[in-house]
Amino acid sequence: MTQDEQAILWLAACSGLERRTCVRLLRAAKRPALLLEDFEKFSKIVLKEGQSGLYNSDRSLRIRQTEQAMRRLEAKGRFAVTLVSDDYPLPLKETPDAPLLLYGEGNRALLKERAFCIVGSRITPAWAEKTGQRIAKELSEIFAIVTGFAEGGDSAAIAGAIEGGKLICVLPNGLDGCYPASHASLKKRVKERGLLLSEFPPEEGVNKGAFHARNRILAGLSEGVLVLSAGERSGTLITANDALDYGRDVFALPYSLGERRGAGCNRLIQKGAFLVTDTEDILSVYGLHSIKTERVSLTAEETRVLEVLRTGGTLHAAVIAERADMQIFEAAAVLSSLELKGLAVKAGGNQYNAL
Amino acid sequence: MVAKIICYTLNGLEGVPIEVETDVNKGVPQYEMVGLPDTAVKESKERVRSALKNSGMLFPMNKITINFAPADIKKEGASFDLAVAVSLLKASEQLVGADLSQTVFLGELALNGDLRPVSGLLPILISAKGHGFTKFIIPAGNAKEAAFLGGAEIYPAHSLAQVVKHLAGFNTIPPLETQTFVVSNGGKGSSDLKFVKGQPMARRALEIAVAGGHNLLMVGPPGTGKTMLARCLPTVMPDLTFEEALEITKIHSVAGTLGEQGIVSIRPFRTPHHTATTVSMCGGGNRVVHPGEISLAHGGVLFLDELPEYKRSTLEALRQPLEDGVITVSRAGGTFTYPARFMLCASMNPCPCGNYGSAERTCSCTASEIRRYRKKVSGPLLDRIDLQVEVDNISYDDLVASAENESSETVKKRVDAARRIQHNRFEESGINTNAEMGERELSAFCALDAEGDRILRAAFEKMNLSARARGRIIKVARTIADLDNSEAIKPKHVFEAVSYRIYDKLD
Repeated sequence: MTQDEQAILWLAACSGLERRTCVRLLRAAKRPALLLEDFEKFSKIVLKEGQSGLYNSDRSLRIRQTEQAMRRLEAKGRFAVTLVSDDYPLPLKETPDAPLLLYGEGNRALLKERAFCIVGSRITPAWAEKTGQRIAKELSEIFAIVTGFAEGGDSAAIAGAIEGGKLICVLPNGLDGCYPASHASLKKRVKERGLLLSEFPPEEGVNKGAFHARNRILAGLSEGVLVLSAGERSGTLITANDALDYGRDVFALPYSLGERRGAGCNRLIQKGAFLVTDTEDILSVYGLHSIKTERVSLTAEETRVLEVLRTGGTLHAAVIAERADMQIFEAAAVLSSLELKGLAVKAGGNQYNAL
Repeated sequence: MVAKIICYTLNGLEGVPIEVETDVNKGVPQYEMVGLPDTAVKESKERVRSALKNSGMLFPMNKITINFAPADIKKEGASFDLAVAVSLLKASEQLVGADLSQTVFLGELALNGDLRPVSGLLPILISAKGHGFTKFIIPAGNAKEAAFLGGAEIYPAHSLAQVVKHLAGFNTIPPLETQTFVVSNGGKGSSDLKFVKGQPMARRALEIAVAGGHNLLMVGPPGTGKTMLARCLPTVMPDLTFEEALEITKIHSVAGTLGEQGIVSIRPFRTPHHTATTVSMCGGGNRVVHPGEISLAHGGVLFLDELPEYKRSTLEALRQPLEDGVITVSRAGGTFTYPARFMLCASMNPCPCGNYGSAERTCSCTASEIRRYRKKVSGPLLDRIDLQVEVDNISYDDLVASAENESSETVKKRVDAARRIQHNRFEESGINTNAEMGERELSAFCALDAEGDRILRAAFEKMNLSARARGRIIKVARTIADLDNSEAIKPKHVFEAVSYRIYDKLD
């Protein structure tokens, strides 16, 4: 780590200093490294009366603290990437409130990849999850997939991209914790195959406002954001709005009217977001083409049932059976086969969707 | 003189012969009972005294010793009363001549000398017959239950006086006529599949479950007819054979829940409430172990409504009996084994709010809430439930033109046919249904072709199945093939079997 990076690492560890204040300190010091050398001088100018004394300590203590922090990171196989680091992601750097420091664990090289964000709310319909998973998988051939760590849409993106390993998860808490707790084993897998990022010190828990802050990083890292599902007032929309603020492209899956889980998506499309039905829709915006996936072969019955599903939207198994002119249990078998082939998905209550 | 009378007590479902020995000696009037009698047995003294007096006989005013042999078994209950009374009469020489060494006496006495029925009579009769006893004197109240036991002279008596006259040789009681077993159709009318509207998926799952003896879980919003469907299960199950009926009756006789009929002629349908304790479910008691719900459901259906509401420990206790078909309960009074081969049928809501997959309302639960709710039912237990099916509240009249509802009778015919195939297949292996197949039978009768194997492999990767689940899917596929009257398990059978494991797909 360079002197400058170390200085930012130390500064970020001064809890109680807002990002704004840190930026002013850095600006006053011209070179971050000078902060470590001569903090008292700059703190007098920038910080208020009561605050300035708080972090005043002698130079050797500051150096020692920084070294300790670096050792702690190393011991856990983590790294810190700062605004002055070479591999600080460029798109994020361009945003007005880019984090000074990101803690990371996993494959650091992913920071240099082109990134695309896929998010969704925690309550996401099954078909949207499956679609998101497929798109994440196909997109991850070109982009690193950036997403959060929640249930539902985020999990779908993770599931799609984790295989190829091009996956960046940005946490709303420090790297030590896991939120939601049920994702502990998932966290381990992401760490091994992809990359975990967090703006917060490792031991920090989940705070109010952390999700907002995290969402801006999701948008900042990425060239575009795909929203899998969002209700009328979903938090996912924050990510989309941030993306718009940063001048990134916004994509959304279309929903049928009256589907509350997707009202926000439709609203985004109304406002000008790209409507996405397939990976191709995203790639074409960037002038790219996907490496075509293999075609699946279907039996006559499967084709018939799929045709019924594609015509009818969300259908109950009994209706599918009737329209495809089969017994209900025959239809169940065919649907089960389509599901394994990734062409249909069960929507709950014995209802099915085509994908 | 010393008199010896044979009586019986129960150890689980096994009758154990007890000799009641009575000695009447000269001396200060005294009444002593030895041989581990419990309070109810000791209290028989007063009942016997009054019953003798009120039947016109004498209670000897001598030194009386009564011994129950073998002395190391605890004797419980009031069923020894008659044997004690008769042995007293014999010892005090009020009853002479009759040879009672081959007669078994059972019954509780009332103070006026009437005989009251006892519980657990049928298993005692069956054991005693096996031990070579051929003559039985029993309370008339137990006559119906005893009438199904052929090959023995059974005399149902109303009172002690009647017994004494019978033994003395005048006014003999006519022996009980052996009844032939007829399957009752008393279950008809109350529940029938033809009254269930729609639910084609659940109906099909029900049929497969019964055909192969599989366990069934129905998941659906409240008020969709899960309980109604479950109540139809006994109506499509194969008829009881006499041996099965006897076995079931034995358990119900021990539990004292035998009805008017005297024999259980329809398959039991037990619905313990979700507040049930582990003991009430598996059996237990202070010293004598009473059969629990799972034993009372032997040969029939154990229906657990609202599965996640049951106590975790209670549900986990079901795991071993589900595999073995018997439950062994150990208590201070001994170790008791009861049969418990039942079909488990459970129902639950899909999520905490109950609306997941509902047609009318939207579910407001997050994936983690749903997962937490479903986690209340442990994986190992779910693994043992081969068929998981969603019951929905979609109105079929609106959706499907041909909404005809098959009756239980039609379904039962198909089930019977599938059972016959299984019966022929397992003739030598000593099992009855596909669900009971072990590894050996699986490899012998359930070979998958290359295509089927490929499907299962794909399902495995997608659904994260356990090794046990794999076996279970193959067994269900076997049953589906049987219903289809197909020798080989075809890919479509495997696909359908896979579609009944909705829970593995959730994560």
